[in-house]
Amino acid sequence: MSKTLAYYPGCSLHGTSGEFDASFRASARKLDLTLLEIPGWECCGNTAAHSINRLLATALPVNELAKVEQDMKLDAVAVPCAACFSRFKTGAHEVAESAETAADVRAVVGRPYDGGVSVQNLVDVYHDAVGLEELAAKVTKPFGGLKIACYYGCLLTRPPKVTLAEDPEYPTHMDAVVKAIGCEPVDWNYKTDCCGASLALTEQGIVDDLVARILNDAKACGADAVAVACPLCQVNLDGRQSEILRTQKDWQTIPVIFLSQLVGRAVGVSDKELGLKKHLVDVMAVMA
Amino acid sequence: MTTCTISPLLAENVGTGCGENAYKCYQCKRCTSGCPVAPYAEMHPAMIMRAVQLGQLDLVFDDKFIWLCTGCETCTTRCPQGIDIAAVMDELKIIARRDGRIPAGTPSAAMLKLNYDSFVRWGRMWEVELIARDVLKRPKSVTSWLSLGPKMMLKGKINPTIKRGDTLAMKRMVQTAESITRAKMVRQADAADAAPDASPAGAGGES
Repeated sequence: MSKTLAYYPGCSLHGTSGEFDASFRASARKLDLTLLEIPGWECCGNTAAHSINRLLATALPVNELAKVEQDMKLDAVAVPCAACFSRFKTGAHEVAESAETAADVRAVVGRPYDGGVSVQNLVDVYHDAVGLEELAAKVTKPFGGLKIACYYGCLLTRPPKVTLAEDPEYPTHMDAVVKAIGCEPVDWNYKTDCCGASLALTEQGIVDDLVARILNDAKACGADAVAVACPLCQVNLDGRQSEILRTQKDWQTIPVIFLSQLVGRAVGVSDKELGLKKHLVDVMAVMA
Repeated sequence: MTTCTISPLLAENVGTGCGENAYKCYQCKRCTSGCPVAPYAEMHPAMIMRAVQLGQLDLVFDDKFIWLCTGCETCTTRCPQGIDIAAVMDELKIIARRDGRIPAGTPSAAMLKLNYDSFVRWGRMWEVELIARDVLKRPKSVTSWLSLGPKMMLKGKINPTIKRGDTLAMKRMVQTAESITRAKMVRQADAADAAPDASPAGAGGES
């Protein structure tokens, strides 16, 4: 049975991570999910709004949720970018927790939001909206035990009071998804450590340290590739490797692949549509 | 002799802004041990919390720590007292910007504002604009893009255009949010003036 979800791509999926948008849409089509992009969506406020104007940071995602609830009349929205997902969950949490915040947000948005929309990140969509059995049944090109380090980063699971993640220190739901498409998830130590996020724009040295530490552990634990569900994590973990190579000549590269690209590949989406050639570290060797 | 600026209202202002009670911190340092950027500044999350309790404005605002905080929420997740420490860091950034206390050598502070202005202007954040404006402000930053930028361009990773969001709706929301926030600040300042022995949060007193 076909399911319909509202879809909030966010700025990065229309910018540096076009392949995340394309692979998510293509995988959804193969999985009988209909995605309806929120018309005229605004930025969720990203990292900047909550450190400049707290009320705006809460109101921006709630405005999108009100559109989904009242204009689109849908009860769920897919927010594949982990940072946007976090802003949506935080916004919904804050208006539900505080009557004063809800009143202020209502004044900014211009209408109330009744809390009727479930916010789903990339892993939630495959794990819950599609379901593991349904996903496994749709696989036409299973990976033959490709070893994957599932990187959750910060905002898929933290803070747990907002995300309601069951095990924020060692989550396993992405591992279950990659297992369903024929990969072998590896146990490793840096699943939820920060990659440096937007410091990549201003403090590249710090980001290179954090990225090297994360990827070295993935390699040491036997991973062939790292799976991610956040555009900023992908651009940092993939892109910074070419910079790390300038100072560490013996650096062994490791591919960093969006979960939507892995799932899309397994359910029969073409490599071109998945944007597999857009990575700075080649992914084709492990995807063959 | 060195002097330090003290504001007895710092913890109170943090609390009014983000709803967190800094006095609940008992210095167990779980926040610091999990903090990815603690090794890169003089201060670390637990020191910031202590400085907030004591109203030590210089310790909080002269160091770059709060501007390195990525908002990864590890501290918030692990705090045994349930303090949303990442929210405290955000509130300190808001206070620092308002009171003109952003130290030199913190490009991340300017980047956050470029980012904010970009999505306010277009309804959506335009990544290419951020980098271009950053290079104009900080010409030396171009060296960090000379290597990675062209590689990303060749791979088609950089979309030079932007599809605008609903810019009118965005402007209306920004104006309303800013005016509500300003009105609250005025009420807060009036209440502080009415209280005995109070000094403004940012100005503080020499001791």
